[in-house]
Amino acid sequence: MGNINNRYAIVGVGESARSRKSGTTPLHLALDAAKAAIADAGLKATDIDGFMNYNEGDSCTSHQLATYLGVRPKYVKDIQGGGASTEMLIGDAIALIESGALNTVLIYRSMNGSSGTRVGRGYDPDMLQGALSGGSFVIPYGSASPSQWFGMFATRHMHETGITKEHLGHVCLSFYEHAQRNPKAFLHGKPLTMENYLATPDISSPFNIHDSCLELDEGNAIIVTSAERAKDCTSTPVYIKGMSIRQCHPHAHYWNDIDVVASDYVAEEVYKNAGVTPDDIDVASIYDCFSWVVLRQLEAYGFAKRGEVGEFVAQGNLKIGGKLPTNTAGGMLSEGYTHGMNNAIEIVRQLRHEYKGTDRQVENCKTGLLTGWAGPDIAGAIILQN
Amino acid sequence: MSNTKTAYQKPIPLKDIDNAPYWDAADKHELALQKCDDCNAYSQPPGPTCAKCGSENVSWEQFGDDIQATVYSYVVSYRPFLPGFQDELPTIIALAQLDKVPEVKIMGNILNCEEKDLKIGMPIQMTWVDITEDRALPQWIPTAN
Repeated sequence: MGNINNRYAIVGVGESARSRKSGTTPLHLALDAAKAAIADAGLKATDIDGFMNYNEGDSCTSHQLATYLGVRPKYVKDIQGGGASTEMLIGDAIALIESGALNTVLIYRSMNGSSGTRVGRGYDPDMLQGALSGGSFVIPYGSASPSQWFGMFATRHMHETGITKEHLGHVCLSFYEHAQRNPKAFLHGKPLTMENYLATPDISSPFNIHDSCLELDEGNAIIVTSAERAKDCTSTPVYIKGMSIRQCHPHAHYWNDIDVVASDYVAEEVYKNAGVTPDDIDVASIYDCFSWVVLRQLEAYGFAKRGEVGEFVAQGNLKIGGKLPTNTAGGMLSEGYTHGMNNAIEIVRQLRHEYKGTDRQVENCKTGLLTGWAGPDIAGAIILQN
Repeated sequence: MSNTKTAYQKPIPLKDIDNAPYWDAADKHELALQKCDDCNAYSQPPGPTCAKCGSENVSWEQFGDDIQATVYSYVVSYRPFLPGFQDELPTIIALAQLDKVPEVKIMGNILNCEEKDLKIGMPIQMTWVDITEDRALPQWIPTAN
């Protein structure tokens, strides 16, 4: 990737209401999120000339969203995806703006993830055997849920590194604590103690319900444009300093080797592209479909050495006031779940200092890390600056 | 066995153009693995070409019916996510590391194993469960001492 250092920015962020049962369609949720992001940026809908989204066949199309915003854009694009798709589409948006094809791109994820299609459930088993890489070697054994796929990885990694169930609990407790400061977090008003955490039975070992992300109905949107055009917006731009995306393992749900994850490669490249080190990161949004996924990424992104990550989180370093305040709105474990976009929205708000004067603000934060994780096989990361 | 076909509710492995030799061997209670004739890498799961180097020169190696392995990793599943598993909870899903080919891990359930006895590194051996009149599913059991 060429040098994009601070030449592009996220200028608008927004979300719909989040609930267990929206009573409406993903198109309505996407419209709410898009209008909020456009208003946040101080733009008009017709200023957006590119619309993109990722989905699992559970959303509305970019074409539909543009139509009902009253826009006839130059470009619409829908990809099948989930974790790390936010970062991939931001990369696509930058490339299209860089090429001169587009000016301003709105990226959204909208789903009835609770009342509609739930991830990993309700699919026809024979369809899954064909749809998943190596599916016929996985599905007949009862493994159809991300909790089972990532649990397999977690068990081995915990065995090798000494990470314990309590360490997983510290990730959950840190994010739940942030959710208590965020009135819009789905688990606001539902604090978690270690005692309660440890008393909660597992669904798929080593994960219980607290280790697992929420499943909700919601829409999220972000707007990407050039640094030059960002000057026309009323919001404080948050600049993209560097990014990296990659795939590594041959199969998404079947691993012969769990020593390396895509995040390991992405970490090296994103720091190089941005010209910063882990010590420079003031605030982080780390993909948290499961608690353990955060621990493995802390290792990958160099915040603690392999074998010391558990202690790092036990010391409270993920909390506001710790060394690496992470998922400060509650993350996907306790705020909301849109395969990563809610975490992207939060880090933009932190870097704008939007919470200044409250206990939610990471004081004087300047540099942030946003990560995506589709699995051990696909990762994306972006370093942002105000 | 006459009722097995209607009784079996779990997903049955679908044979396709790439994986059929694996499941054909399983139906005979044997293991076969796909191997690349160019880079010598085994492909598990198998595919149209070698997943390591992309070569089309892949063939099948027969390993017979004495398959020893150790537990590389596992998940204990307390909730069913697919039909047929609801009556056999918890389900142990494991990756078995083959003694003869340690770079290959084969997923399966560990049968006849208490959760408290389950450990990474424990010796297991492949067994085959007849699930219909003409199909058998490779599974794992703890190796007898």
